Amino acid sequence: MPRRRPPQAQRPERRRFLAAIAAWGLAATLALAPPAARAQAFDLGALTTLLGRVQSGEATFVETRRIEMLDRTLQSSGRLSFKAPDSFVRETLKPRREKLAVEGNTVTMSLGERSRAMQLDASPEAAVIVEAVRGTLTGNRATLERLFETTVSGDARAWTLKLVPRDLRLRGQVSAVQVSGREAMAREVMVQLADGDRSVMTIEPVAARSPS
Amino acid sequence: MTTGAAPPVRRGALVVALWLAGVAAALVVAWRAHYVADLSAFLPSAPTPEQAVLLDQLKSGATSRLLVIGIEGGAPGDEAAALARAEASKRVAAALRASGAFTSVHNGENSAWADAGRFLFEHRYAISPAVDADRFSAAGLREAIDATVSLLGTPAGSLLKPILFRDPTGETLRIAETLTPSRAPRIDHGVWVSRQAPRAVLVTTTAADGADLDGQQRALAAIRSAFDAAPAPGLRLVVSGAGKFAVESRERIKAEVERLAVLGSIVIIVLLWLAFASARSLAVAMLPVATGVVAGIAAVSLGFGQVHGMTLGFGTTLIGEAVDYAIYYLIQARGGNGAAERWRRESWPTVRLGLFTSLIGFAALVFTGFPGLAQLGVFSIAGLVAAAATTRFVFPVLVPNGAPGAGFRHQLARFMSAAASRLPKARFGVLAIALASIVVLVVTPSPWHGELTSLSPVSASDLALDATLRGDVGAADAGALVAVAGASEQAALEGAEAIGARLDRLVAAGVLQGYDSPARLLPSAATQSRRLAALPDAATLAARLAEATADGALPAARLAPFLADVEAARAQAPFGRAALAGTPLATALDALLLPGDATRPWRALVNLQPGDNGHLDVDRVRAAIADVPGVRVVAIKAELDAIYARFLREAEWQAALGAVAVALLLAAHLRSGRRLAAIALPIAAATLAVLAALALAGAALGILHLVGLLLTVAIGSNYALFFDHLRERGEADADTLASLLLANLTTVASFALLASSGIPVLQAVGIVVAPGALLCLVFSAAWLGRGAAGAQARGKIAP
Repeated sequence: MPRRRPPQAQRPERRRFLAAIAAWGLAATLALAPPAARAQAFDLGALTTLLGRVQSGEATFVETRRIEMLDRTLQSSGRLSFKAPDSFVRETLKPRREKLAVEGNTVTMSLGERSRAMQLDASPEAAVIVEAVRGTLTGNRATLERLFETTVSGDARAWTLKLVPRDLRLRGQVSAVQVSGREAMAREVMVQLADGDRSVMTIEPVAARSPS
Repeated sequence: MTTGAAPPVRRGALVVALWLAGVAAALVVAWRAHYVADLSAFLPSAPTPEQAVLLDQLKSGATSRLLVIGIEGGAPGDEAAALARAEASKRVAAALRASGAFTSVHNGENSAWADAGRFLFEHRYAISPAVDADRFSAAGLREAIDATVSLLGTPAGSLLKPILFRDPTGETLRIAETLTPSRAPRIDHGVWVSRQAPRAVLVTTTAADGADLDGQQRALAAIRSAFDAAPAPGLRLVVSGAGKFAVESRERIKAEVERLAVLGSIVIIVLLWLAFASARSLAVAMLPVATGVVAGIAAVSLGFGQVHGMTLGFGTTLIGEAVDYAIYYLIQARGGNGAAERWRRESWPTVRLGLFTSLIGFAALVFTGFPGLAQLGVFSIAGLVAAAATTRFVFPVLVPNGAPGAGFRHQLARFMSAAASRLPKARFGVLAIALASIVVLVVTPSPWHGELTSLSPVSASDLALDATLRGDVGAADAGALVAVAGASEQAALEGAEAIGARLDRLVAAGVLQGYDSPARLLPSAATQSRRLAALPDAATLAARLAEATADGALPAARLAPFLADVEAARAQAPFGRAALAGTPLATALDALLLPGDATRPWRALVNLQPGDNGHLDVDRVRAAIADVPGVRVVAIKAELDAIYARFLREAEWQAALGAVAVALLLAAHLRSGRRLAAIALPIAAATLAVLAALALAGAALGILHLVGLLLTVAIGSNYALFFDHLRERGEADADTLASLLLANLTTVASFALLASSGIPVLQAVGIVVAPGALLCLVFSAAWLGRGAAGAQARGKIAP
């Protein structure tokens, strides 16, 4: 959620923000946008404010997964899209079509003709990863802080957000999720599982809209 | 005594001896009687097999054994409290699993499924709906293995890894998907929690049958002690479920019966004391009552094999009516030698006729189709006959001269005489009330729209808690039941499979969230055989597997355990019900697959989970599965309402017949249209007035109100008969008037106590009879006639 800060515009920040918006092809809406956050240090508040300005987006992704047990790496690719406040779709196109759609607390998984709905909060392991990605893309600071111990490094130009599940039980499955990005767009999501498996998803934005 | 061979004294001794022997025998039966207090006696007996299934399910089906537990406390967002609730949930669950009182305890911890998981894994090729020949072709294997592999490297994958090389096609996962409810509770700190409130939730199935209230009570006690075992400051326990309701209702009925018995006795004793001011008279007056109660209990016990607590509660009203006989005798049979004989000659025929009209009224109860009401009828008939017989045969021996002591009877008599002389002037007022009541009943919408649920003593707040907890655990009541009958276990399972195939389409269309079918746990032998036959032999499978994994992620070389498992599965015979014994699956299956016998078919039940909007489109479900032979879709509330409405209609007929029978009996006895009218008119006016008042008050009337009206006619006719008796005699003596008023007061008081009851069944009867009986007396007095009323000066109260 974007947090309102005192309107104390600082030119370098504003320019940085401009760049971010321009990158998303949204220069037209800039004039209406409130002044950017004052940021002595680039922290979670600043990051989520930055991310929260983008209400929806679409991207392509390429994911590589290292499976220790098989001693090999699997690759997949597809599309991502999200829309504030809580919609998120991950559609895998290769090597096989799969779709994971999250809307609020409902997750729908589709595989070929089969489709199955479940409640996200009924499956905390899945929720950890979904919320890490969805929470980051939509700039949902409250959710991120509720579920994770967060560490932000870098600056708006290139940032990294490390998320470690607060729940020790969950940490026994998902050790950490690390999202890094540039300006208002996440560019890479790394998931480290406790059993040693690790996946890295690189994201390439293709379009964005902001209704503000 | 009539003249006989035996001298009066010996004959009297014989009567008393017989009476004492009868009372002793009845006491033995009553002592050994089996007392129950479950509410199923007030569910109508089922007229059709489908309704029988429904009622059976309500009484002892899976739902009746479900108890939902909530552990509450702490503010929302308070992590420490959330952790404490989770710890308490695990502790309670562990204690309950160890207690043996539950066949399943689920709180979100996976451990509960360990046994079940092993069974499903070992039989995965017989159970997984995905297994067919296509699945085991090279292309099918590739597709299935790719799907499994795509889960690796995700949290779901970590569950798959231990079985990956034995089950690369993901059959276990496929089975788990079909068995996992789509609307599972939220999980926090490893246990199920509510989405709405700070509350951990558990779902348990009791080992005890739903109808076994002692067993349900033990299960509830086990929950309480499991929670109390480790003190958790600030945490509260809430439990809901059919068993809880039933046990609490039983407690409430017990407490209510005791309250009614104690208060009823006190009221009657006070009234009798006012009437006689003599301990001896009081004790004597209670003899027919006590005899009647004991006889009633014994008759019910012999006739039904058990005595319902509600029958006892209702029985306290019998005190009110049975004591009337004693009052009539004790007051009227006075005046020295031959008083008893005179009473027997002059008053007994009237009392006997009143008894017969009451018996006709209660006889109607016996045939209502509610076992509970039938008990009330038998109890009352036996009780009244015993009380009247005690009065008629034993009193002339014990108290040949009536009761000593006058108490406040002077005042009662004076009041009644004054009333009796004035009331006839108000006769047109009574007619006006009757006409106004008819107008009210014609103008207002019919008040006969009581529902079966209105008989339930479960409070609205308990029902709200139940709905909340069920919502938390995703066990919301769908309100409908799908049942399929089959000649054998296999036929029922095949029916369930046919239904499942059709319901799958509704799930895909979003009409249903999902459904539970016994065939998912125990596929029919035919289906199992078909799946196992689809498994290729080892050589074929190895070749196809090599092709399927040629450039895939899983190397065929590591899948030897898979080849071995498939080969072993090919040799398996289809498993049966017995194979599930000892796993939580057995409980789940028992709830959904009901064994048949020579008289009834096997039945498979399919539970429906309504679609996203929470509303079940019963018509679409019905249309979708209509072509499956033996299938029935039972909309629970609609069906129950239909059963109840039918019983209400039947009862209305029975009540009408009862009223006609009373009128015919009176007509046969009186042989005078004028006298019959003078008796029937006041009673009709009284019942109409009560009905109109209830209609104006907006009450929803049901079968128990109808019973109340019938009782009003049965009891009220007693007063009317006495007034008729006085009218015919041409004089109204003070003693008879006083005894009538006293008898009426005891009746009104005991039914007023019922009206104050918190148990709807008793309250409904009381609220009709208490005012009805009072009006019957008042209105009947209005027809006494001025001549008779004026003669009251002749009456005198003996000291």
